[in-house]
Amino acid sequence: MNETIAWLTNPATWQGQTGVPWRLVEHLAIVGVSVLAATLVALPVGLWIGHTGRGANLAINLANIGRAVPSYAVIVIILPFSLAFSRDLGLNVIPTFLAMVLLAIPPILVNAYAGVRGVDRDLVEAARGMGLRERQILSGVEVPLAAPVIVGGFRTAVLNVIATATIGAVLGFGGLGRFILDGRAMGLLGTGQLIGGAILVSVLAVGIDLLLAVVQRRLARRADPELTDARGLRELSEVPLPQGLP
Amino acid sequence: MRLSRVLALGAAMMVAMSACSSGGGSKPEVKIGSDGFYESKLVAEMFAQVLEADGYPVARNLGIGARQVRQPALEQGQIDISPEYVGSGLGYYDKAAPTGDGPTNRQLLAQVLADKKIQVFAITPGEDTNAAVVRQDTATELKLAKMSDLAAVQDQLKWGLTPDCEANPLCKDALESYGITFPPKQRETLAACDAPMAEALNSKGIDFAWLCSTQPAIAQFGFVALEDDLNTQPAENMTALVRDDLLAKVGDKNEFQKRLDGVLATLTTEALTKMGVEVAVDQKDVADVAKAFLTAQGLLK
Repeated sequence: MNETIAWLTNPATWQGQTGVPWRLVEHLAIVGVSVLAATLVALPVGLWIGHTGRGANLAINLANIGRAVPSYAVIVIILPFSLAFSRDLGLNVIPTFLAMVLLAIPPILVNAYAGVRGVDRDLVEAARGMGLRERQILSGVEVPLAAPVIVGGFRTAVLNVIATATIGAVLGFGGLGRFILDGRAMGLLGTGQLIGGAILVSVLAVGIDLLLAVVQRRLARRADPELTDARGLRELSEVPLPQGLP
Repeated sequence: MRLSRVLALGAAMMVAMSACSSGGGSKPEVKIGSDGFYESKLVAEMFAQVLEADGYPVARNLGIGARQVRQPALEQGQIDISPEYVGSGLGYYDKAAPTGDGPTNRQLLAQVLADKKIQVFAITPGEDTNAAVVRQDTATELKLAKMSDLAAVQDQLKWGLTPDCEANPLCKDALESYGITFPPKQRETLAACDAPMAEALNSKGIDFAWLCSTQPAIAQFGFVALEDDLNTQPAENMTALVRDDLLAKVGDKNEFQKRLDGVLATLTTEALTKMGVEVAVDQKDVADVAKAFLTAQGLLK
Protein backbone atom coordinates (compact mmCIF):
# COMPACT_ATOMS: atom_id res chain seq x y z
CA MET A 1 0.00 0.00 0.00
CA ASN A 2 2.85 2.36 0.84
CA GLU A 3 4.41 1.91 -2.56
CA THR A 4 1.09 2.62 -4.24
CA ILE A 5 0.63 5.89 -2.36
CA ALA A 6 4.25 6.80 -3.11
CA TRP A 7 3.68 6.20 -6.81
CA LEU A 8 0.41 8.10 -6.91
CA THR A 9 1.84 11.10 -5.09
CA ASN A 10 5.05 11.22 -7.12
CA PRO A 11 4.85 14.20 -9.52
CA ALA A 12 6.79 12.26 -12.18
CA THR A 13 3.87 9.84 -12.44
CA TRP A 14 1.69 12.63 -13.79
CA GLN A 15 4.07 14.15 -16.33
CA GLY A 16 5.00 13.57 -19.90
CA GLN A 17 4.14 10.91 -22.43
CA THR A 18 4.45 8.13 -19.92
CA GLY A 19 2.43 9.95 -17.28
CA VAL A 20 -1.13 9.30 -16.18
CA PRO A 21 -2.86 12.14 -18.11
CA TRP A 22 -1.45 11.03 -21.48
CA ARG A 23 -2.16 7.36 -20.78
CA LEU A 24 -5.70 8.34 -19.78
CA VAL A 25 -6.13 10.12 -23.11
CA GLU A 26 -4.86 7.03 -24.97
CA HIS A 27 -7.18 4.80 -22.99
CA LEU A 28 -10.25 6.97 -23.55
CA ALA A 29 -9.35 7.24 -27.22
CA ILE A 30 -9.34 3.50 -27.78
CA VAL A 31 -12.53 3.10 -25.72
CA GLY A 32 -14.26 5.87 -27.66
CA VAL A 33 -13.23 4.73 -31.11
CA SER A 34 -13.97 1.05 -30.56
CA VAL A 35 -17.35 1.59 -28.85
CA LEU A 36 -18.28 4.00 -31.65
CA ALA A 37 -17.36 1.45 -34.30
CA ALA A 38 -19.23 -1.28 -32.43
CA THR A 39 -22.29 0.96 -32.15
CA LEU A 40 -22.23 1.70 -35.87
CA VAL A 41 -22.30 -2.04 -36.54
CA ALA A 42 -24.47 -3.38 -33.73
CA LEU A 43 -27.07 -0.70 -33.15
CA PRO A 44 -28.75 -0.68 -36.59
CA VAL A 45 -28.75 -4.49 -36.66
CA GLY A 46 -30.23 -4.70 -33.15
CA LEU A 47 -32.88 -2.09 -33.82
CA TRP A 48 -33.92 -3.70 -37.08
CA ILE A 49 -34.24 -7.25 -35.80
CA GLY A 50 -36.07 -5.88 -32.76
CA HIS A 51 -38.53 -4.06 -34.98
CA THR A 52 -39.11 -6.84 -37.50
CA GLY A 53 -38.51 -9.80 -35.22
CA ARG A 54 -36.65 -11.56 -38.04
CA GLY A 55 -33.17 -13.05 -37.69
CA ALA A 56 -33.29 -12.66 -33.93
CA ASN A 57 -32.08 -16.15 -33.15
CA LEU A 58 -29.09 -15.95 -35.44
CA ALA A 59 -28.02 -12.48 -34.43
CA ILE A 60 -28.32 -13.04 -30.73
CA ASN A 61 -26.54 -16.38 -30.82
CA LEU A 62 -23.69 -14.83 -32.77
CA ALA A 63 -23.51 -12.02 -30.27
CA ASN A 64 -23.40 -14.41 -27.36
CA ILE A 65 -20.61 -16.38 -29.00
CA GLY A 66 -18.77 -13.07 -29.22
CA ARG A 67 -19.13 -12.71 -25.47
CA ALA A 68 -17.35 -16.01 -24.91
CA VAL A 69 -14.27 -15.23 -27.01
CA PRO A 70 -11.41 -14.09 -24.79
CA SER A 71 -9.97 -10.78 -25.88
CA TYR A 72 -6.40 -11.84 -25.19
CA ALA A 73 -6.73 -14.68 -27.67
CA VAL A 74 -8.20 -12.30 -30.22
CA ILE A 75 -5.30 -9.86 -30.10
CA VAL A 76 -2.70 -12.61 -30.42
CA ILE A 77 -4.51 -14.27 -33.34
CA ILE A 78 -5.04 -11.00 -35.18
CA LEU A 79 -1.42 -9.90 -34.77
CA PRO A 80 0.20 -11.48 -37.86
CA PHE A 81 -2.63 -10.25 -40.09
CA SER A 82 -2.69 -6.74 -38.71
CA LEU A 83 1.09 -6.48 -39.09
CA ALA A 84 0.82 -7.60 -42.70
CA PHE A 85 -1.82 -4.92 -43.17
CA SER A 86 0.06 -2.05 -41.54
CA ARG A 87 3.61 -2.11 -40.22
CA ASP A 88 3.07 0.98 -38.08
CA LEU A 89 -0.41 0.52 -36.61
CA GLY A 90 -0.61 -3.22 -36.94
CA LEU A 91 1.29 -4.00 -33.76
CA ASN A 92 -0.45 -2.21 -30.97
CA VAL A 93 -3.40 -0.21 -32.27
CA ILE A 94 -5.26 -2.48 -34.68
CA PRO A 95 -5.38 -5.71 -32.64
CA THR A 96 -6.51 -3.85 -29.51
CA PHE A 97 -9.09 -1.89 -31.50
CA LEU A 98 -10.57 -4.97 -33.17
CA ALA A 99 -10.67 -6.97 -29.95
CA MET A 100 -12.49 -4.13 -28.19
CA VAL A 101 -15.00 -3.77 -31.04
CA LEU A 102 -15.75 -7.50 -30.80
CA LEU A 103 -16.18 -7.14 -27.05
CA ALA A 104 -18.55 -4.17 -27.34
CA ILE A 105 -20.86 -5.55 -30.04
CA PRO A 106 -22.81 -8.20 -28.03
CA PRO A 107 -24.22 -5.96 -25.27
CA ILE A 108 -25.15 -3.18 -27.70
CA LEU A 109 -26.84 -5.51 -30.15
CA VAL A 110 -28.71 -7.60 -27.62
CA ASN A 111 -29.96 -4.61 -25.65
CA ALA A 112 -31.08 -2.78 -28.79
CA TYR A 113 -33.06 -5.85 -29.81
CA ALA A 114 -34.52 -6.40 -26.34
CA GLY A 115 -35.36 -2.73 -25.85
CA VAL A 116 -37.30 -2.42 -29.10
CA ARG A 117 -38.95 -5.79 -28.59
CA GLY A 118 -40.07 -4.73 -25.12
CA VAL A 119 -42.03 -1.72 -26.31
CA ASP A 120 -45.78 -2.22 -25.78
CA ARG A 121 -47.12 -3.84 -28.97
CA ASP A 122 -50.38 -1.94 -28.66
CA LEU A 123 -48.53 1.33 -29.08
CA VAL A 124 -46.81 0.02 -32.20
CA GLU A 125 -50.09 -1.23 -33.66
CA ALA A 126 -51.73 2.09 -32.88
CA ALA A 127 -48.95 3.91 -34.66
CA ARG A 128 -49.29 1.59 -37.65
CA GLY A 129 -52.99 2.19 -37.64
CA MET A 130 -52.40 5.93 -37.72
CA GLY A 131 -50.53 5.45 -40.97
CA LEU A 132 -46.96 5.87 -39.80
CA ARG A 133 -44.39 4.09 -41.95
CA GLU A 134 -42.14 1.40 -40.46
CA ARG A 135 -39.11 3.66 -40.21
CA GLN A 136 -41.17 6.36 -38.54
CA ILE A 137 -42.54 3.86 -36.05
CA LEU A 138 -39.01 2.77 -35.23
CA SER A 139 -37.63 6.25 -34.83
CA GLY A 140 -40.65 7.99 -33.37
CA VAL A 141 -42.16 5.34 -31.10
CA GLU A 142 -39.91 2.41 -30.47
CA VAL A 143 -36.50 4.02 -30.06
CA PRO A 144 -37.54 6.75 -27.61
CA LEU A 145 -39.35 4.19 -25.47
CA ALA A 146 -36.50 1.70 -25.73
CA ALA A 147 -33.81 4.32 -25.15
CA PRO A 148 -33.08 3.47 -21.50
CA VAL A 149 -32.52 -0.20 -22.34
CA ILE A 150 -30.40 0.68 -25.37
CA VAL A 151 -28.25 2.99 -23.27
CA GLY A 152 -28.00 0.16 -20.73
CA GLY A 153 -26.34 -1.96 -23.39
CA PHE A 154 -24.08 0.88 -24.33
CA ARG A 155 -23.16 1.26 -20.66
CA THR A 156 -22.23 -2.41 -20.34
CA ALA A 157 -20.14 -2.20 -23.49
CA VAL A 158 -18.25 0.87 -22.28
CA LEU A 159 -17.59 -0.71 -18.88
CA ASN A 160 -16.27 -3.92 -20.46
CA VAL A 161 -14.05 -2.06 -22.89
CA ILE A 162 -12.58 0.28 -20.25
CA ALA A 163 -11.62 -2.71 -18.14
CA THR A 164 -10.37 -4.92 -20.97
CA ALA A 165 -8.49 -2.33 -23.04
CA THR A 166 -5.73 -2.82 -20.48
CA ILE A 167 -4.61 -5.99 -22.28
CA GLY A 168 -3.58 -3.94 -25.32
CA ALA A 169 -0.45 -3.18 -23.35
CA VAL A 170 0.73 -6.73 -24.04
CA LEU A 171 1.28 -5.73 -27.65
CA GLY A 172 2.79 -2.38 -26.77
CA PHE A 173 -0.36 -0.24 -26.73
CA GLY A 174 -0.41 2.59 -24.20
CA GLY A 175 -3.39 3.43 -22.06
CA LEU A 176 -3.79 2.66 -18.37
CA GLY A 177 -2.92 -0.97 -18.96
CA ARG A 178 0.68 0.16 -19.47
CA PHE A 179 1.03 0.83 -15.72
CA ILE A 180 -0.30 -2.57 -14.83
CA LEU A 181 1.89 -4.45 -17.27
CA ASP A 182 5.07 -2.43 -16.75
CA GLY A 183 4.58 -2.56 -12.99
CA ARG A 184 4.39 -6.31 -13.19
CA ALA A 185 7.48 -6.51 -15.40
CA MET A 186 9.47 -4.51 -12.88
CA GLY A 187 8.83 -7.09 -10.20
CA LEU A 188 9.11 -5.90 -6.61
CA LEU A 189 10.01 -2.36 -7.66
CA GLY A 190 6.86 -2.03 -9.71
CA THR A 191 4.25 -2.96 -7.10
CA GLY A 192 3.20 0.65 -6.54
CA GLN A 193 2.76 1.20 -10.26
CA LEU A 194 0.88 -2.06 -10.71
CA ILE A 195 -1.67 -1.41 -7.99
CA GLY A 196 -1.87 2.30 -8.80
CA GLY A 197 -2.68 1.49 -12.42
CA ALA A 198 -5.36 -0.96 -11.37
CA ILE A 199 -6.90 1.63 -9.07
CA LEU A 200 -6.93 4.21 -11.86
CA VAL A 201 -8.71 1.83 -14.25
CA SER A 202 -11.29 0.99 -11.60
CA VAL A 203 -11.93 4.64 -10.78
CA LEU A 204 -12.32 5.47 -14.47
CA ALA A 205 -14.72 2.57 -15.05
CA VAL A 206 -16.89 3.38 -12.04
CA GLY A 207 -16.89 7.10 -12.80
CA ILE A 208 -18.00 6.70 -16.39
CA ASP A 209 -20.55 4.08 -15.41
CA LEU A 210 -22.14 6.51 -12.93
CA LEU A 211 -22.27 9.21 -15.59
CA LEU A 212 -24.01 6.88 -18.01
CA ALA A 213 -26.40 5.80 -15.24
CA VAL A 214 -27.51 9.42 -14.97
CA VAL A 215 -28.07 9.57 -18.72
CA GLN A 216 -30.03 6.33 -18.59
CA ARG A 217 -32.24 7.65 -15.83
CA ARG A 218 -32.98 10.85 -17.72
CA LEU A 219 -34.00 8.88 -20.77
CA ALA A 220 -36.19 6.62 -18.67
CA ARG A 221 -38.01 9.63 -17.29
CA ARG A 222 -38.58 10.98 -20.76
CA ALA A 223 -39.97 7.63 -21.87
CA ASP A 224 -42.33 7.46 -18.91
CA PRO A 225 -42.76 10.74 -17.01
CA GLU A 226 -44.45 8.93 -14.15
CA LEU A 227 -41.31 6.95 -13.52
CA THR A 228 -39.79 8.29 -10.34
CA ASP A 229 -38.22 5.34 -8.65
CA ALA A 230 -35.31 3.03 -9.37
CA ARG A 231 -37.50 -0.05 -9.43
CA GLY A 232 -39.29 1.13 -12.51
CA LEU A 233 -35.98 1.81 -14.18
CA ARG A 234 -34.82 -1.67 -13.39
CA GLU A 235 -37.97 -3.16 -14.85
CA LEU A 236 -37.26 -1.34 -18.08
CA SER A 237 -33.70 -2.61 -18.14
CA GLU A 238 -34.55 -6.24 -17.54
CA VAL A 239 -36.68 -6.97 -20.57
CA PRO A 240 -36.90 -10.74 -20.87
CA LEU A 241 -35.53 -12.30 -24.05
CA PRO A 242 -37.84 -14.56 -26.10
CA GLN A 243 -38.01 -18.19 -24.96
CA GLY A 244 -35.61 -20.70 -26.34
CA LEU A 245 -32.61 -18.41 -26.61
CA PRO A 246 -29.54 -19.05 -24.46
CA MET B 1 15.60 -80.24 14.78
CA ARG B 2 15.46 -79.32 11.13
CA LEU B 3 12.26 -77.41 11.69
CA SER B 4 13.79 -75.27 14.40
CA ARG B 5 16.85 -74.67 12.22
CA VAL B 6 14.63 -73.58 9.36
CA LEU B 7 12.74 -71.31 11.70
CA ALA B 8 15.96 -69.85 13.06
CA LEU B 9 17.26 -69.29 9.54
CA GLY B 10 13.97 -67.68 8.55
CA ALA B 11 14.05 -65.43 11.58
CA ALA B 12 17.64 -64.45 10.86
CA MET B 13 16.78 -63.65 7.26
CA MET B 14 13.85 -61.57 8.33
CA VAL B 15 16.01 -59.61 10.73
CA ALA B 16 18.67 -59.15 8.06
CA MET B 17 16.15 -58.03 5.46
CA SER B 18 14.46 -55.60 7.82
CA ALA B 19 17.87 -54.21 8.71
CA CYS B 20 18.65 -53.73 5.02
CA SER B 21 15.40 -51.91 4.26
CA SER B 22 15.54 -49.75 7.36
CA GLY B 23 19.13 -48.85 6.40
CA GLY B 24 17.72 -47.38 3.18
CA GLY B 25 14.75 -45.92 5.04
CA SER B 26 11.61 -44.58 3.44
CA LYS B 27 12.54 -41.89 0.98
CA PRO B 28 11.54 -38.34 1.97
CA GLU B 29 8.97 -36.53 -0.08
CA VAL B 30 10.59 -34.07 -2.48
CA LYS B 31 8.74 -30.87 -3.38
CA ILE B 32 9.88 -29.59 -6.76
CA GLY B 33 8.93 -26.14 -8.02
CA SER B 34 9.75 -24.08 -11.08
CA ASP B 35 9.18 -20.74 -12.78
CA GLY B 36 6.22 -20.20 -15.05
CA PHE B 37 7.82 -20.61 -18.45
CA TYR B 38 8.28 -23.88 -20.30
CA GLU B 39 12.06 -24.21 -19.99
CA SER B 40 12.03 -24.00 -16.22
CA LYS B 41 9.11 -26.43 -16.07
CA LEU B 42 10.93 -28.80 -18.43
CA VAL B 43 14.11 -29.00 -16.34
CA ALA B 44 12.09 -29.30 -13.11
CA GLU B 45 10.09 -32.11 -14.69
CA MET B 46 13.36 -33.88 -15.55
CA PHE B 47 14.47 -33.66 -11.92
CA ALA B 48 11.08 -35.01 -10.86
CA GLN B 49 11.14 -37.98 -13.25
CA VAL B 50 14.69 -38.95 -12.35
CA LEU B 51 13.93 -38.85 -8.62
CA GLU B 52 10.69 -40.74 -9.05
CA ALA B 53 12.61 -43.44 -10.92
CA ASP B 54 14.81 -43.67 -7.81
CA GLY B 55 11.77 -44.18 -5.60
CA TYR B 56 11.31 -40.70 -4.14
CA PRO B 57 7.74 -39.50 -3.78
CA VAL B 58 7.67 -36.21 -5.68
CA ALA B 59 5.19 -33.38 -5.16
CA ARG B 60 5.25 -31.14 -8.23
CA ASN B 61 4.54 -27.45 -7.92
CA LEU B 62 5.63 -26.32 -11.37
CA GLY B 63 4.93 -22.88 -12.73
CA ILE B 64 4.72 -21.08 -9.39
CA GLY B 65 5.46 -17.74 -11.01
CA ALA B 66 8.40 -15.47 -11.67
CA ARG B 67 11.54 -15.55 -9.57
CA GLN B 68 10.05 -12.95 -7.22
CA VAL B 69 7.46 -15.53 -6.22
CA ARG B 70 9.37 -18.78 -6.69
CA GLN B 71 12.53 -17.87 -4.80
CA PRO B 72 10.75 -16.85 -1.57
CA ALA B 73 8.83 -20.14 -1.81
CA LEU B 74 12.17 -21.97 -1.93
CA GLU B 75 13.65 -19.90 0.89
CA GLN B 76 10.66 -20.61 3.10
CA GLY B 77 10.63 -24.31 2.37
CA GLN B 78 7.39 -24.50 0.43
CA ILE B 79 9.47 -26.18 -2.27
CA ASP B 80 12.75 -28.06 -1.84
CA ILE B 81 14.23 -28.00 -5.34
CA SER B 82 14.06 -25.55 -8.21
CA PRO B 83 15.97 -25.04 -11.45
CA GLU B 84 17.81 -21.72 -11.64
CA TYR B 85 19.81 -19.62 -14.08
CA VAL B 86 23.09 -18.69 -12.37
CA GLY B 87 23.23 -15.15 -13.80
CA SER B 88 19.68 -13.96 -13.08
CA GLY B 89 19.53 -15.99 -9.90
CA LEU B 90 22.57 -14.11 -8.61
CA GLY B 91 21.22 -10.81 -9.92
CA TYR B 92 18.05 -11.34 -7.89
CA TYR B 93 20.13 -10.98 -4.71
CA ASP B 94 22.76 -8.55 -5.96
CA LYS B 95 22.07 -6.58 -9.11
CA ALA B 96 25.68 -5.70 -9.80
CA ALA B 97 27.17 -9.14 -9.21
CA PRO B 98 26.51 -11.28 -12.31
CA THR B 99 29.43 -11.73 -14.69
CA GLY B 100 29.80 -13.19 -18.14
CA ASP B 101 31.40 -16.35 -16.71
CA GLY B 102 29.29 -19.33 -15.70
CA PRO B 103 31.45 -20.91 -12.99
CA THR B 104 32.05 -17.51 -11.39
CA ASN B 105 28.32 -16.81 -11.24
CA ARG B 106 27.71 -20.22 -9.74
CA GLN B 107 30.36 -19.66 -7.07
CA LEU B 108 28.96 -16.25 -6.11
CA LEU B 109 25.41 -17.60 -6.01
CA ALA B 110 26.50 -20.49 -3.82
CA GLN B 111 28.06 -18.03 -1.37
CA VAL B 112 24.87 -15.98 -1.15
CA LEU B 113 22.63 -19.01 -0.76
CA ALA B 114 24.82 -20.73 1.83
CA ASP B 115 23.39 -18.33 4.42
CA LYS B 116 19.89 -19.28 3.36
CA LYS B 117 20.68 -22.99 3.69
CA ILE B 118 20.34 -23.72 0.00
CA GLN B 119 22.87 -25.68 -2.06
CA VAL B 120 23.79 -24.89 -5.65
CA PHE B 121 24.54 -27.99 -7.73
CA ALA B 122 26.58 -28.19 -10.97
CA ILE B 123 25.98 -25.96 -13.98
CA THR B 124 24.80 -27.02 -17.40
CA PRO B 125 27.04 -26.62 -20.43
CA GLY B 126 24.23 -24.78 -22.20
CA GLU B 127 22.94 -21.29 -21.43
CA ASP B 128 19.67 -19.48 -21.93
CA THR B 129 20.69 -15.87 -21.87
CA ASN B 130 19.24 -12.73 -23.40
CA ALA B 131 19.79 -12.60 -27.13
CA ALA B 132 19.67 -9.51 -29.34
CA VAL B 133 17.90 -10.83 -32.41
CA VAL B 134 17.20 -9.48 -35.90
CA ARG B 135 15.66 -11.01 -39.00
CA GLN B 136 17.92 -12.64 -41.59
CA ASP B 137 17.06 -9.97 -44.16
CA THR B 138 17.96 -7.15 -41.78
CA ALA B 139 21.26 -8.84 -40.90
CA THR B 140 22.17 -9.28 -44.57
CA GLU B 141 21.05 -5.80 -45.66
CA LEU B 142 22.69 -3.85 -42.83
CA LYS B 143 25.62 -6.24 -42.37
CA LEU B 144 24.92 -7.10 -38.76
CA ALA B 145 26.78 -9.94 -37.09
CA LYS B 146 27.56 -8.61 -33.62
CA MET B 147 25.90 -6.08 -31.35
CA SER B 148 28.64 -3.52 -31.96
CA ASP B 149 27.38 -3.29 -35.55
CA LEU B 150 24.07 -1.85 -34.36
CA ALA B 151 25.26 1.65 -33.43
CA ALA B 152 25.86 2.68 -37.04
CA VAL B 153 22.32 1.81 -38.14
CA GLN B 154 20.37 2.45 -34.93
CA ASP B 155 18.05 5.09 -36.41
CA GLN B 156 16.99 2.79 -39.22
CA LEU B 157 15.67 0.16 -36.86
CA LYS B 158 12.43 -0.13 -34.96
CA TRP B 159 13.48 -1.34 -31.51
CA GLY B 160 11.46 -3.89 -29.53
CA LEU B 161 12.45 -3.19 -25.92
CA THR B 162 11.16 -4.50 -22.62
CA PRO B 163 8.87 -2.47 -20.35
CA ASP B 164 11.51 -2.42 -17.60
CA CYS B 165 14.34 -1.48 -19.97
CA GLU B 166 15.07 1.91 -18.37
CA ALA B 167 15.43 0.32 -14.96
CA ASN B 168 17.26 -2.78 -16.18
CA PRO B 169 21.05 -2.53 -16.58
CA LEU B 170 21.03 -5.54 -18.91
CA CYS B 171 18.87 -3.57 -21.33
CA LYS B 172 19.57 0.16 -21.12
CA ASP B 173 23.16 0.13 -19.85
CA ALA B 174 24.09 -2.72 -22.16
CA LEU B 175 22.71 -0.96 -25.23
CA GLU B 176 24.38 2.30 -24.24
CA SER B 177 27.71 0.53 -23.95
CA TYR B 178 27.24 -0.49 -27.59
CA GLY B 179 26.76 3.16 -28.55
CA ILE B 180 22.97 3.22 -28.75
CA THR B 181 21.51 6.53 -27.58
CA PHE B 182 18.67 5.95 -25.20
CA PRO B 183 15.73 6.05 -25.83
CA PRO B 184 15.92 5.03 -29.49
CA LYS B 185 14.00 7.00 -32.09
CA GLN B 186 11.51 4.27 -32.86
CA ARG B 187 10.56 1.99 -30.03
CA GLU B 188 7.88 -0.55 -29.22
CA THR B 189 7.36 -1.96 -25.74
CA LEU B 190 7.00 -5.73 -25.57
CA ALA B 191 7.89 -8.47 -23.07
CA ALA B 192 11.21 -10.21 -23.73
CA CYS B 193 11.31 -13.84 -24.92
CA ASP B 194 7.58 -13.75 -25.48
CA ALA B 195 5.43 -14.75 -28.47
CA PRO B 196 4.31 -11.19 -29.34
CA MET B 197 7.96 -10.08 -29.51
CA ALA B 198 8.89 -12.93 -31.86
CA GLU B 199 5.75 -12.45 -33.94
CA ALA B 200 6.30 -8.72 -34.24
CA LEU B 201 9.89 -9.30 -35.39
CA ASN B 202 8.82 -11.88 -37.93
CA SER B 203 6.04 -9.72 -39.35
CA LYS B 204 8.34 -6.68 -39.53
CA GLY B 205 6.51 -4.72 -36.83
CA ILE B 206 9.92 -4.35 -35.17
CA ASP B 207 13.47 -4.86 -36.44
CA PHE B 208 15.32 -5.57 -33.19
CA ALA B 209 14.00 -7.95 -30.56
CA TRP B 210 15.14 -9.16 -27.14
CA LEU B 211 14.62 -12.91 -27.21
CA CYS B 212 16.17 -15.79 -25.29
CA SER B 213 19.05 -17.75 -26.80
CA THR B 214 17.21 -21.08 -26.66
CA GLN B 215 13.93 -19.64 -27.86
CA PRO B 216 12.32 -21.88 -30.49
CA ALA B 217 11.24 -18.89 -32.57
CA ILE B 218 14.86 -18.22 -33.50
CA ALA B 219 15.14 -21.60 -35.21
CA GLN B 220 11.56 -21.51 -36.43
CA PHE B 221 11.75 -18.16 -38.24
CA GLY B 222 15.42 -18.19 -39.16
CA PHE B 223 16.34 -15.20 -37.03
CA VAL B 224 19.95 -14.14 -36.43
CA ALA B 225 21.14 -13.79 -32.84
CA LEU B 226 23.79 -11.07 -32.75
CA GLU B 227 26.98 -11.84 -30.88
CA ASP B 228 27.30 -10.09 -27.52
CA ASP B 229 30.93 -9.10 -28.15
CA LEU B 230 31.20 -6.87 -25.08
CA ASN B 231 29.76 -9.60 -22.84
CA THR B 232 27.08 -7.35 -21.44
CA GLN B 233 24.68 -10.20 -20.81
CA PRO B 234 25.34 -12.48 -17.86
CA ALA B 235 26.25 -16.13 -18.20
CA GLU B 236 23.01 -18.00 -17.70
CA ASN B 237 23.91 -21.63 -17.26
CA MET B 238 21.25 -23.60 -15.48
CA THR B 239 21.62 -25.38 -12.17
CA ALA B 240 19.54 -26.94 -9.41
CA LEU B 241 18.91 -25.18 -6.10
CA VAL B 242 18.36 -27.70 -3.32
CA ARG B 243 17.48 -27.00 0.30
CA ASP B 244 19.86 -28.28 3.00
CA ASP B 245 17.03 -29.72 5.06
CA LEU B 246 15.99 -31.95 2.18
CA LEU B 247 19.57 -33.16 1.75
CA ALA B 248 19.67 -33.94 5.46
CA LYS B 249 16.72 -36.30 5.04
CA VAL B 250 18.17 -38.01 1.99
CA GLY B 251 20.11 -41.23 2.62
CA ASP B 252 23.16 -40.74 0.41
CA LYS B 253 23.73 -37.06 -0.37
CA ASN B 254 26.48 -37.72 -2.90
CA GLU B 255 24.32 -40.14 -4.88
CA PHE B 256 21.47 -37.65 -4.84
CA GLN B 257 23.70 -34.86 -6.12
CA LYS B 258 25.26 -37.09 -8.77
CA ARG B 259 21.80 -37.94 -10.02
CA LEU B 260 20.73 -34.37 -10.54
CA ASP B 261 24.15 -33.26 -11.79
CA GLY B 262 23.90 -36.09 -14.31
CA VAL B 263 20.76 -34.53 -15.73
CA LEU B 264 22.31 -31.04 -15.76
CA ALA B 265 25.40 -32.25 -17.63
CA THR B 266 23.31 -33.31 -20.62
CA LEU B 267 21.69 -29.90 -21.15
CA THR B 268 23.57 -28.15 -23.95
CA THR B 269 22.21 -25.03 -25.67
CA GLU B 270 21.34 -27.15 -28.69
CA ALA B 271 19.46 -29.71 -26.58
CA LEU B 272 17.50 -26.97 -24.80
CA THR B 273 16.60 -25.25 -28.07
CA LYS B 274 15.54 -28.52 -29.66
CA MET B 275 13.31 -29.40 -26.73
CA GLY B 276 11.97 -25.86 -26.80
CA VAL B 277 10.83 -26.38 -30.38
CA GLU B 278 9.11 -29.61 -29.36
CA VAL B 279 7.22 -27.95 -26.54
CA ALA B 280 6.45 -24.54 -27.97
CA VAL B 281 6.12 -25.23 -31.70
CA ASP B 282 5.12 -28.89 -31.91
CA GLN B 283 2.92 -28.42 -28.84
CA LYS B 284 4.14 -31.60 -27.17
CA ASP B 285 3.55 -32.13 -23.47
CA VAL B 286 6.44 -31.07 -21.22
CA ALA B 287 6.36 -34.38 -19.34
CA ASP B 288 6.56 -36.36 -22.58
CA VAL B 289 9.44 -34.33 -23.96
CA ALA B 290 11.34 -34.67 -20.68
CA LYS B 291 10.77 -38.42 -20.59
CA ALA B 292 11.89 -38.91 -24.19
CA PHE B 293 15.07 -36.90 -23.64
CA LEU B 294 15.98 -38.63 -20.37
CA THR B 295 15.35 -42.06 -21.87
CA ALA B 296 17.51 -41.24 -24.89
CA GLN B 297 20.29 -40.12 -22.54
CA GLY B 298 19.94 -43.33 -20.53
CA LEU B 299 19.12 -41.46 -17.34
CA LEU B 300 15.78 -43.16 -16.67
CA LYS B 301 16.23 -46.71 -15.56
